[in-house]
Amino acid sequence: MEADKNTVVPGRLAVDLCGLVLKNPVMTASGTFGYGEEYAPFCDLNRLGAIVVKGLSLEPRAGNPPPRIMETRCGMLNAVGLQNVGVRAFIAKKLPFLRQFNVAVIANIFGETIDEYRRVTEILTHAAGVNAIEVNISCPNVKKGGVAFGAHPDAAASVTEAVRGETDLPVIVKLTPNVTDITEIAQAVESAGADAVSLINTLTGMSVDIERRRPHLANVTGGLSGPAVKPVALRMVWQVIRSVKIPVIGIGGISTAADALEFLITGASAVQIGTANFIHPAATMEIIDGIEDYMIRHRIGCMQDLLGSLQTDG
Amino acid sequence: MAEKPSIAIGQVMENRSVAPGHFLLTIRLPLSFATPIPGQFVMIRDPDRDEPLLPRPISVYGFQREDGHAILNLLCRVAGRGTSLFSRLNSGSTLTVLGPLGRGFTIDPDVRQILLVAGGVGAAPLAFLLQECVFSKPHSAKRQVTAYLGAGTAELLTGLNRFEGFCNLRTATDDGSCGYHGNVTEMLALDLGEYDAKSTLILACGPMAMIRSLDLLLRDTRIRCQVSLEERMACGVGACLGCVVAIKEGEGRNGYRRVCHDGPVFDIGEIHWNPPVEG
Repeated sequence: MEADKNTVVPGRLAVDLCGLVLKNPVMTASGTFGYGEEYAPFCDLNRLGAIVVKGLSLEPRAGNPPPRIMETRCGMLNAVGLQNVGVRAFIAKKLPFLRQFNVAVIANIFGETIDEYRRVTEILTHAAGVNAIEVNISCPNVKKGGVAFGAHPDAAASVTEAVRGETDLPVIVKLTPNVTDITEIAQAVESAGADAVSLINTLTGMSVDIERRRPHLANVTGGLSGPAVKPVALRMVWQVIRSVKIPVIGIGGISTAADALEFLITGASAVQIGTANFIHPAATMEIIDGIEDYMIRHRIGCMQDLLGSLQTDG
Repeated sequence: MAEKPSIAIGQVMENRSVAPGHFLLTIRLPLSFATPIPGQFVMIRDPDRDEPLLPRPISVYGFQREDGHAILNLLCRVAGRGTSLFSRLNSGSTLTVLGPLGRGFTIDPDVRQILLVAGGVGAAPLAFLLQECVFSKPHSAKRQVTAYLGAGTAELLTGLNRFEGFCNLRTATDDGSCGYHGNVTEMLALDLGEYDAKSTLILACGPMAMIRSLDLLLRDTRIRCQVSLEERMACGVGACLGCVVAIKEGEGRNGYRRVCHDGPVFDIGEIHWNPPVEG
């Protein structure tokens, strides 16, 4: 029997991400969706595949001085510097709000030392209501930690091992594109026990105010995100998919359902929406609808039939 | 209490140049758009353009409901590429309007004298506040309002017609072409002794240099002062942490607060002018 193309198959968009079943593959990228509450007036949080919260550290962090952001052609630079409330305040004040919704909560974590990553993981694992950990070893805007761990396979593996040893929750490691060979890092974290990798974090960039002859950002450099980075992100996702067995989550400039579908067809198991939230607060809702419309139009019954369906010659 | 913000499609009814580099947008919105509190802002974006990417924050200059629509007025200064494109929008163009956003001005019941202090296009949110004071609030009769408006030249005193006749008005221009010859804070300094510190509230909006000199002027007084700040924003809703201002948090601690969500209106004493840079 031919399926009515207008019938929405329950669970058509569901994906299994290292044991975590998501109702659809659309997540919010860390740092672009706050702790969920900021977007609740504009989005039905219940409809999201997952919410990845703003990066959490052991203690609250003030972040970098302003100016922190600058729009560039087809993108934006940011150097927020991981300002956050700290993991304990997140659990006490932010997590209860998120738990009201039927949505997976992924805690993005950051540390200046391996021990800090370990302790943040321990605290989150004992708090009810966190469904997975995303390990940020790729922030370009802080002096200690961050990309210092993400740029070297051994250091990336050490952080992954430390987090892995502390939790039974799925561990996703978020990778930086600011390396010569991202597959090397991906393989290192896979061997160290990561359940999935997410990529890419921002590309390090810079912008100058020619009238004042000063950098636009107080931090001088910042991370480039937005549509400008999408082809680079997609290329790296494609490379990593071919070099590891664990699921890959695609991130980078995804603004529309078509953008998301490029990553899914290439083989990403899920996608994260970042800068697009700033451009259009309901971007995630439109992307979910657009993926569903595409699947109905192409008579694709489940995500497994779509993911990695990319045809290449040779 | 602020009403819930929404994303609305607006239609430009009129786009008029009001001074060199300044324009007044009149936007028709669905009736469901929440009523802004003076000091709140909206994020506007041209949905027909891929670029610029980010919406731009503009404070509310006027808001009314008529003929089944909400009418939003935005007084803007051309500050960069985004606002430059807005200045050339034709009537009939559509804009996405996100808002109303942020924390507006709050006037305590014991306030008897309100001083509005504006620099340039900073007059916009104060004109909206004056409109609300004059036309909406039943107890406004008990309050005196005096506006101190400053700008570079007479023609840059934008929004002047929204103050004339509705409050006491003093103007200052850098070139002396209208009113006091000098900046608005100097002009205010001359009058400040006439006001009763306990019952006076200053509401201000303008360039950071003006706000900083206002802070210095008020430091030795007990006059309350709220300022509306401007900062580059990405999201406008508190998520991106891009628009922060350094704030004194007590016990010698400092922190960054979001202009979009914790402000844009802050007590002037909260602002930390020389915050230590974290290593």
